[in-house]
Amino acid sequence: MQASDIHFETTEFLDSSGKLLRPLPAMLSSRDQLVELYRVMVQTRVFDRAAINLQRTGEMGTYPSNEGQEAIGAGIGYAMQDDDVLVPYYRDIATQIQRGVLLEEILRYWGGDEWGMHFRHQAEDFPVSVPIATQACHAVGIGYAIRYRQQARAVVTTCGDGATSKGDFYESINIAGVMGLPVVFVVNNNRWAISVPLEKQTAAPTIAHKALAAGIDGYRVDGNDAVAMVQVMSDALQQARAHRRPSIVEALSYRLGDHTTADDANRYRPREELEAARALEPLIRYKAYLQAGHDWSDDDDESLYADCVAEARSAIEVYRAFPPQPAGEFFDYMYARPTADLEKQKQEWLTQVKRHG
Amino acid sequence: MNIFKLPDLGEGLPDAEIVEWHVKPGDEVSEGQTLVSVETAKAIIDVPSPQSGRIARLYGKESDVIDVGRPLVAFGDDIAEPSEAKAKDSGTVVGEMESTEDIIPEAAIGRHHSSSTIKATPAVRALANRMDVELSMVTPSGRDGVILADDVRRVARILAEHGPMEPLRGVRRAMARNMAQAHAEVAPATLLEDADITGIAARSDITPRLIRALIAGCKAEPSLNAWYDGHANGRRVLERIHLGLAVDAPQGLFVAVLLDIQNDDDDAIVARLAELKGKIKQRSLTPAELRGYSITLSNYGAIAGRYASPVVLPPTVAILGAGKSRDEVVARDGEIVIRHILPLALTFDHRAVTGGEAARFLKAVITDLEA
Amino acid sequence: MAEWTLLEGVNRAFASEMRRDANVIVLGEDVGVNGGVFRATDGLQDEFGIERVIDTPLAESVIVGMAIGMAAQGLRPIVELQFMGFIYPAVDQIINHASRLRNRTRGRITCPMVIRAPFGGGIHAPEHHSESTEALFAHMPGVRVVVPSSPARAYGLLLAAIRDPDPVVFLEPKRVYRLGKQEVEDSGEALPLDTCFVLRDGIDVTLVSWGASIKETLEAAAELARVGVDAEVIDVATLSPLDMDTILDSVARTGRCVIVHEAARSCGVGAEIAARLAAEGITSLLAPVLRVTGFDTVMPLYRYEDQYMPGVHRIVDAVQEVMGYR
Repeated sequence: MQASDIHFETTEFLDSSGKLLRPLPAMLSSRDQLVELYRVMVQTRVFDRAAINLQRTGEMGTYPSNEGQEAIGAGIGYAMQDDDVLVPYYRDIATQIQRGVLLEEILRYWGGDEWGMHFRHQAEDFPVSVPIATQACHAVGIGYAIRYRQQARAVVTTCGDGATSKGDFYESINIAGVMGLPVVFVVNNNRWAISVPLEKQTAAPTIAHKALAAGIDGYRVDGNDAVAMVQVMSDALQQARAHRRPSIVEALSYRLGDHTTADDANRYRPREELEAARALEPLIRYKAYLQAGHDWSDDDDESLYADCVAEARSAIEVYRAFPPQPAGEFFDYMYARPTADLEKQKQEWLTQVKRHG
Repeated sequence: MNIFKLPDLGEGLPDAEIVEWHVKPGDEVSEGQTLVSVETAKAIIDVPSPQSGRIARLYGKESDVIDVGRPLVAFGDDIAEPSEAKAKDSGTVVGEMESTEDIIPEAAIGRHHSSSTIKATPAVRALANRMDVELSMVTPSGRDGVILADDVRRVARILAEHGPMEPLRGVRRAMARNMAQAHAEVAPATLLEDADITGIAARSDITPRLIRALIAGCKAEPSLNAWYDGHANGRRVLERIHLGLAVDAPQGLFVAVLLDIQNDDDDAIVARLAELKGKIKQRSLTPAELRGYSITLSNYGAIAGRYASPVVLPPTVAILGAGKSRDEVVARDGEIVIRHILPLALTFDHRAVTGGEAARFLKAVITDLEA
Repeated sequence: MAEWTLLEGVNRAFASEMRRDANVIVLGEDVGVNGGVFRATDGLQDEFGIERVIDTPLAESVIVGMAIGMAAQGLRPIVELQFMGFIYPAVDQIINHASRLRNRTRGRITCPMVIRAPFGGGIHAPEHHSESTEALFAHMPGVRVVVPSSPARAYGLLLAAIRDPDPVVFLEPKRVYRLGKQEVEDSGEALPLDTCFVLRDGIDVTLVSWGASIKETLEAAAELARVGVDAEVIDVATLSPLDMDTILDSVARTGRCVIVHEAARSCGVGAEIAARLAAEGITSLLAPVLRVTGFDTVMPLYRYEDQYMPGVHRIVDAVQEVMGYR
């Protein structure tokens, strides 16, 4: 018996030219709903570009681009309930902005200020996770709390293809499976883990195959297809919420940008591959679909982009105007109450600041 | 979006202050049009636009100082348009790593072994400090040579009986310092010999003849009239002789200098010596008259003492000492005779002077004395 | 009042708190049906059920990681890592997440959890089962490190650890799990964290220790008393954050300090205490600060582990040495 004997269908609703292959899902059938989903993707795209520009001009630190992967985040956020919990990695802006995280908070975090993870309008979602795959474990614990309290909620945790090589990933899907926890593990398979391509990452024929090892369900979906994302995520979340069936959702996409603003993918990626992938990116097909099937005009598109640009610009102004942290605030949040030693260290530090400015 | 960075304005100036903006966001500009006037350390310079386009953003207000290479103006749209690709490999995947071509000016140095062997705990050191006891004077009674508090108290009692320590000042302090330095640096070797000065009429002061003989010695062996630098490992053999005369004065020992004495005849030497004695009595020697000697003479025999190994003071390399002359029984041509003998001691710094050179010098000195 | 071993103190603390607070969940390998390999969680699954006393798969990283998720949701998870030697796969979760969640969300999400592990040598165990690497965790900002040394302190400090709003690494000295009993009241009353406990008053030298080494330290103090040296004994209990005030206060009176720990010498928690004494207590010191510790080697296999562990003689010798400074 070989892994390649098992086949996972890749769910697709919109082909790369924007043609609808199957009836729309129930939750995404009106023009308003379709446009709303598009708006999330456009907002993500526009914001992402603006964020990169901020980094290039020295106004923000290292930033990981979401370009090309907007449909995945948009679909996840659209399908999640408000009281579900998101445990993201670091390319999830499209989901986060649907769940109350503000654009300026995202800028604030990458701009080097912890208050960026103190979401004012989202209490339970986890902050960005930088150590790879570790967040999968947290999602499992949240799932346990939900099950323990017998709540009708689910947890979505995201990660990249590289993360699925880590022990924490395997441990998490395993324990979610054996305990029957309401967790959906979404893998953004954008084919690159910094400079390591998928073929060097795993011998598994698909990432969805890894679900089999854990005894849980596996889904495979075209991550460039926002409609398919919504459908598959709804299915997976329903199974998780109602039946305590965890799952892996493998979303296929391509990382059009560099790994982060400090990376240069031209060092290791062939230009032709990048250009070919760009032709398949989610906004192209989605716009074509809206134009063909829902009376979406060029004016509508321009107007939407202008709105998103204005929102991004406004978020940037708010970001620029954030006051600096009070002096020595970095001492104050290590414990519920600062310890005597920390108080002393803070005073030492304040004294030095006064002396040397 | 294109970001125009402050270019190098010439002559390696690192930054510039914005004096006046000539454009604002939203303006359409053409290539070459003046964007801004900036002031460097040297001049006010008008910065031209590198391209035509729409101004998206200005980086900095008037009076701000901008570093060369930092953003100055953005063209296009800083939100909707993607920025240009990075110019070069940043060599990292997160953050911003500073890199320069500067040579790093450091290297590991050899370790110096600590010369201090005084062992005392901080509490004992503090006690010694309070009781005004120098730890170097305390004999330790603790295990492993550790000074205990009781040791400090004991020494304090002793010192109280004997009064306070007299700090060395002035000439005595200089002597202590100079001799310590000489001891640490010089590799001394001493030649002892006698001169038969029966031919010199008994005078009260043999110093002028000694000076004359020393000049003869220097002419025969100039390498004893030199300055040696042990650190740089080099020497200067001097043509001119600046004689350092060791003087025993009430306030201590010091070395007075007779500059440029190589050509003085006997009378000149006598005159200069007299002048020097006067100055010493009146304590009117200037600092210049205490410095710069190239060889030293010590007539300790004027008081007492036969042979000695006097101390060579760096940077000089030789000191000639003359002891007390006396009548002695010597053998001459197989006969026992009584002659007036002057004991001589020449100490030289063997780092810079060979035994042969020293011996030849001494021989010339003796030859002159016996002439 | 009952008499308990240290292990029973742990077990009773669990039971007491789990009755009081339905959010307390215990998880780990073999903690449920088996009651824990040392029986620390004995009887708990019977009383509280399988949802609250969880037998997890063999996966230390996710066990601690999921506890972080549980704590973020307001549960109070207590993780058991079977031996300190198996805590290492979870260090990533502890240092990268548990210790930082509060700080990096400015308090929006917090992590009230306890990570327990039996630690230390002396039970003739196979290799890797005798670790004392508490210094790793004491070095991490954002977690507490607590080490009980007696049944009463095991009970009281574990209650405090469970109730604390921040992560606590609770290291149990397994050599003294069952060595002796104490009368402890099952009052549900916690002992204070972040403070030392003075176990013996003395004027000549301050002995500082924690965990199983307290036993040898107290024995050394008794032996020293017989030759006229009066030692003060301090149980540090919370290694981080350290209560230096108690130690400084004591050394101000005695002028001498010997620190005893089983862990390897270099960069152990004893080094931190010695550095703090040098910085803040130098004018009190009459003698060097000595450490009696394990060596900078791996703990030998059990046949020779006694050679490594700091025994009474080494402590007494060190005290005699510092008494030589007057």
